[in-house]
Amino acid sequence: MSLLEINDLSIDYKLSKGVLRAVDHVSLCVELGDSVGIVGESGCGKTTLGLAVPMLLPENATVSGGSIVLDGQQIVGLDEAEISRLRWTSVAFVFQGAMNALNPVQRVDRQILEAIRTHEPETSKQDAYARVLELFNLVGISPSRAKSYPHEFSGGMRQRAMIAMSLACRPSLLIADEPTTALDVISQAQILTLLSELRHREGLSLIMISHDLAAIKRVCDRIVVMYAGVVVESGPTEHVLGRGGGPNAALHPYTKALIRAHPDLRGERVLEEGLQGHPPDLSEPISGCRFADRCPEVMDICRTQTPPAVTLSPGHIAACHLARKDPQ
Amino acid sequence: MSNIVNVGGASASDERPTVTRRPGVWREVWRDDMGRTGLITLGAVLFIILVGPIIFPFQSQSFGTSSASILQAPTASHWMGTTELGQDVLRQFLVGGRISLYVGVMATLIAIVLGAGLGLVSGYYAGWRDTVLMRVTDFFLVLPTLPLIIVLAALFGQSILITSLVIGLTSWPQTARIIRSQVLSLRERPLVLRVRSLGASDLRIMGKHILPNVAPLIFANLVLVLSGSILAQAALAFLGLGDPVQVSWGTMLHNAFNSGAMSEGAWWYVLTPGVGIVVMVLAFSLVGHSLDRVLNPLRRGGR
Amino acid sequence: MNARYFVRKLSTLSVTLFVTASFNFLLFHVLPGSPVQLLARSGHFDAAARAQLVKLFGLNRSLVAQYFIYLKNLLHGNLGYSYVYRKPVSTVLGSAIGNTVLLVGTATVITVFVGVWLGVVAASRANTLVDTSITVGSLGVWSMPDFFTGMILIFVCGVWTHVLPISGIETPGLVTGLWGHLGDVGRHLVLPAVTLMLVNAAEFSLITRNSLVDVLVEDYMLTARAKGLSRRVIIWRHALRNALLPIVTATALYVGMVLGGAIQVETVFSWPGMGLLIYNSVEQRDYPVLEGCFLLFAIAVIATNFISDLLYQVLDPRVRRT
Repeated sequence: MSLLEINDLSIDYKLSKGVLRAVDHVSLCVELGDSVGIVGESGCGKTTLGLAVPMLLPENATVSGGSIVLDGQQIVGLDEAEISRLRWTSVAFVFQGAMNALNPVQRVDRQILEAIRTHEPETSKQDAYARVLELFNLVGISPSRAKSYPHEFSGGMRQRAMIAMSLACRPSLLIADEPTTALDVISQAQILTLLSELRHREGLSLIMISHDLAAIKRVCDRIVVMYAGVVVESGPTEHVLGRGGGPNAALHPYTKALIRAHPDLRGERVLEEGLQGHPPDLSEPISGCRFADRCPEVMDICRTQTPPAVTLSPGHIAACHLARKDPQ
Repeated sequence: MSNIVNVGGASASDERPTVTRRPGVWREVWRDDMGRTGLITLGAVLFIILVGPIIFPFQSQSFGTSSASILQAPTASHWMGTTELGQDVLRQFLVGGRISLYVGVMATLIAIVLGAGLGLVSGYYAGWRDTVLMRVTDFFLVLPTLPLIIVLAALFGQSILITSLVIGLTSWPQTARIIRSQVLSLRERPLVLRVRSLGASDLRIMGKHILPNVAPLIFANLVLVLSGSILAQAALAFLGLGDPVQVSWGTMLHNAFNSGAMSEGAWWYVLTPGVGIVVMVLAFSLVGHSLDRVLNPLRRGGR
Repeated sequence: MNARYFVRKLSTLSVTLFVTASFNFLLFHVLPGSPVQLLARSGHFDAAARAQLVKLFGLNRSLVAQYFIYLKNLLHGNLGYSYVYRKPVSTVLGSAIGNTVLLVGTATVITVFVGVWLGVVAASRANTLVDTSITVGSLGVWSMPDFFTGMILIFVCGVWTHVLPISGIETPGLVTGLWGHLGDVGRHLVLPAVTLMLVNAAEFSLITRNSLVDVLVEDYMLTARAKGLSRRVIIWRHALRNALLPIVTATALYVGMVLGGAIQVETVFSWPGMGLLIYNSVEQRDYPVLEGCFLLFAIAVIATNFISDLLYQVLDPRVRRT
């Protein structure tokens, strides 16, 4: 049984101008010990998808279809009390822009303590505090800084503190949303190293949401590419982002465009190409492939028929009409 | 850019949005329920007090002819009853509204000109001018408003002019603070820095570049200062420091209170001017708060 | 909190107090003409008595000399001499202060509880009918002058019905023990305190609501929710704790307003406090008493500002000077 099974999930936002489907029939599996990277541009639904697992969606969002099963437990439909128990203990969330993700008027150690005491109230104060210091050590913050306030930490330290806090209740799954955005390059590298280490040392299962392909390549075994609310391609990072060809390589033109737009610092200099145009309006009904308007390899069928998900090789799926043209 | 709603992710930048000239501001206020109610009520109130006295030409100062006509409940001939001197309450109400509004407007003008002017200078020049002006402003902010107004009126007189001056002089500090902080952030904007390096005079920059951008803020603040001024004038008049000849709504309440109208149960005498004050102030407040909401959309609540 | 900061704040406080005293002097002894003229204008003394007072208080001396005498008197607690009561101003104020403190104190406690609670309710249901009703309701109550609210309450509770006393601090000629006496004062306190509370609770609820709404959209609120904390903990320990900061700042402004309100309410209900004293002294042109009251009010606001500044330091770690 998988750790996390998202099946045919659809999430709608109710806006003043109508209903916007941010996530459209998305399916995703995360096994124990996996690390999955979800990549896509702003507004593709990756953050909504991530927020849905601990049910942290805003008031005007509803799950209009599908299911989320975490640790064997159905998440959709749970009431607030039940989901609160699962939050942080089964799944923890690390937000982007740790600038403001920590309570500015509370000491950092107290904030972590709070998480522990809430979910494990029988723990003695000393044990809980010992764990807090342990967590600081884990993420590489000196325990002497424990009593500081968030504004006294640098950006990188704050993000590390957030990660430390997220591990407080030993969650099975950690979802990190853009953990390296808004950080300087050095801190970014540190965070990514930290996440890799945590995976191997603590056996953490990780979902990393990012628009940074390099970060995902570094940390994640599998990659899921989203565009305009749907998954357009998913597979092993090695293959999809690798240089080889054949059925393992990236197939979807959007994936390929993303790869082209990310220069490899240590590789040869390749001309970067941006992508023209913008994603479709998700409050309007869409026929055919959503990427059709911007696709450099668009065909007639793309505008009328929604491309089905096709397995290219074990674990590698793409939702593109081009896939069917390839000889299997 | 795409019109897809940015779902989740980073919240809007921590800075307030810089206020730029927006011709659609009033339209947005009209669209806002609170603003629309305020504007309509305001229109009605202004109509009543500006046009009312012309339509209802009762003799405002005529006294009652017999004891029976004193403190009469509303009747057909006196829609809102009579005062302790037999005068028609409705007529006094209609005429008095103008005075309440007049003092409010004059006081607000003084407060705004003084406050915005000082705020502009203070924020633009910064430096020692700012420090000195802010110390002065802070000092005046600390003095309790109504007691100060009372003292000034008691010492210097009760005419409408002096009352307006007095209220205006106690209201400018808030405006100065608000305008100053906005100007402080505006002066760092690229446009202003560019124009300064080109050698434009300070006055020109203040007048042409900064002032138009601060104008909507001044206006939102103005409306709220106006509400406060009307309330201050009413309080002054009630406490006996209003102009004794020009009967404002506050004065009517003063007379009602002191003539024993209360124990006689003459509710019409109290409710008429009182409700007048409340409705007028409420109308201005609704518009003011709606303006504030329109200009600060970050506060609309909800992610 | 840093000792150095405290000392600096204390010295600022002293300067402000000094400037206020000087401003008071300017207001009452310089601008409206000389004290001799004020004495004459008040109409309480005939020419002979005036001459005597002038000699006694050295009112003829130069302005500068008078200024220093004034400051010296202040430091000794001498606030002048009441024209009407023929007693030292400090004596006249003495009995009134307690009554005003009772009224304002009671009203403040209720105000803060009711106002903040309403603000929390409105903010946690932002943009719904509940929120709009509370906001508009608060705006409506804020638009009512204190004295008008008082008059309405007098009608409802004292004239049309007779459930509560509408005047004074105790029933005249009442003979009863200590508890009966306290109860009597308590019943007289109800209407004035409620009147004073209404307008200010409205203001607090508006400020709380806006401040809380600003806080609720911050990132750390989502973190709190993600941690699986209960709704109550989220609102009180995280949201309100951060929203408290503007509320504390607002408290400083509040004191100025509640004193203004107290003047109106005490006048309407004949509550024998400093507000009524101000009203009477204005009517009777008892300028020394007016001056003393004003000075005390100003000092009260300044002191409150000082305390709220210190409180802000304690509450917001970002502002603390290390």
